[in-house]
Amino acid sequence: MNIPNVFNRRNRILLKELTKTDFKLRYQNSILGYLWALLRPLMMFAILYFVFSVLLPIGKDDPHYPVYLLIGTTMWSFFTECTSQGMQAIVVRGDLLRKISFPKYIVVVSATLTAVINMLINLIVIVIFALINGITPSFSWLLVIPAIFELYCLSLGIAFLLGSINVKYRDITSIWDVFVQALFYAIPIIYKISMVAGTIQEPSHPFIAKALLLNPIAQCIQDIRFAFISAVGPVDTTWSYIHNPLVSIIPVIIVLAVLIIGALVFRKKSKFFAEEV
Amino acid sequence: MKRQIGVRKEISTNSDIAISVKNLQKSFRLPTEKSFGLKQAIFNHLRGVKGYKEQHVLKDINFEIKKGEFVGIVGRNGSGKSTLLKTLAGIYYPEKGEIIVDGTLIPFIELGVGFNPELTGRENVYLNGAMLGFSNEEIDKMYDDIWNFAELKEFQNQKLKNYSSGMQVRLAFSIAIRARGDILLLDEVLAVGDAAFQQKCTDYFASLHGNQTVILVTHSMQNIRQFCDRAILIENGKVTLDSSPEEVAKAYENLFK
Repeated sequence: MNIPNVFNRRNRILLKELTKTDFKLRYQNSILGYLWALLRPLMMFAILYFVFSVLLPIGKDDPHYPVYLLIGTTMWSFFTECTSQGMQAIVVRGDLLRKISFPKYIVVVSATLTAVINMLINLIVIVIFALINGITPSFSWLLVIPAIFELYCLSLGIAFLLGSINVKYRDITSIWDVFVQALFYAIPIIYKISMVAGTIQEPSHPFIAKALLLNPIAQCIQDIRFAFISAVGPVDTTWSYIHNPLVSIIPVIIVLAVLIIGALVFRKKSKFFAEEV
Repeated sequence: MKRQIGVRKEISTNSDIAISVKNLQKSFRLPTEKSFGLKQAIFNHLRGVKGYKEQHVLKDINFEIKKGEFVGIVGRNGSGKSTLLKTLAGIYYPEKGEIIVDGTLIPFIELGVGFNPELTGRENVYLNGAMLGFSNEEIDKMYDDIWNFAELKEFQNQKLKNYSSGMQVRLAFSIAIRARGDILLLDEVLAVGDAAFQQKCTDYFASLHGNQTVILVTHSMQNIRQFCDRAILIENGKVTLDSSPEEVAKAYENLFK
């Protein structure tokens, strides 16, 4: 892979066409079609909202909890979809790899772009929800752009890294599925970080709360929430919660490391994908 | 676990050599254990078993192809022809040796790469076209020609799964022949279809002859004699004869006597 060729004309055409096909095929043969891109996360949100805002007292005192929860579930779905589709892309597209010669990263990127499209559609829903919830639009909303970009870089890095191992050892997909389930609870998607930390008067686990916020996924999700909600209510972010700047930069370093290592491993292994897949 | 890697370069010069292959070697690792996966890999590692055996498919291949030449490659099943073609195309990495390709290379390892049965004929034309390097706008321009040549115009909005296999091949062929590159690699893909389709293939080969660098892998000695300027016989991963089409065709036929 030499750098000038990364986005040459042929590769751009391939990337565009593969992404289009991926997106089309996902909702083939369904009555509601593309609507499912919206309905799936909304249904997940509805279930979680019912359990954690109506039945359990997590979101009862906070009028903006629905927006908080919707951002969490949407971005979490984006992350899981991006990584699992991305790491399986080489195997799924194995047929193509064996018949034409092209940079292999294209199939991984095209699989993750489908997740990006889904996420962008859901972002519109978040905006509508926020408006209904009485949050007035402000320039701080633009802060979601770097946060989403960071989350995408992390997902892409993981997809490259695990995708190159998954070609030979398909166990990776199953391991990742289980790992992601556990990870769900380690990220403040449903709950709030303040519930882990406790109050100053009654601290429960302030150290664990800090550790949780060093997870780049948690950092990104909190940043996106901050962008939308901070004008009307407090949102704890990695930056506000951890005072040592050298420590609070850890999530960003993790993202960069995963992306670079993932890309390097992928580049090295991709030469043999065609014969191994 | 370190594997050696040969060289494959694509250049663009005015020399009269289109493809040069030097000391090309390629082997595959065939797993000897039945089950794949992490568990087996760990067991094998602990027991000191390699878990695969090396299969040397290409042993020492050397040849040059001049620009404008129509070269046939023949050999028995399993002699390494398809591996050679895939290595030339850049799908497989050369293990040792050097491949230099001068100009753009279009491989047809199979017709209809990327065809998806769930999409309509129309969508598949654009998809397959993208695999051959055509943008949507370029396909727009040749769209009607593709369907007219395939004689399938009334099916263009049907899903591909409702096409017969013959119809799929006709559509794929009709797209494939529009691909323009300096070098075409054809792997027996055209050895299907009925007599009328065969005639179209023959006409296509004839139109290429003299205008285009072509490497054709085939079992049809008739094609070798009719179209090729030169032919190469491969046996057991080695070039055993590189000569006129007539001589190579005879040698090939003698293999089966």
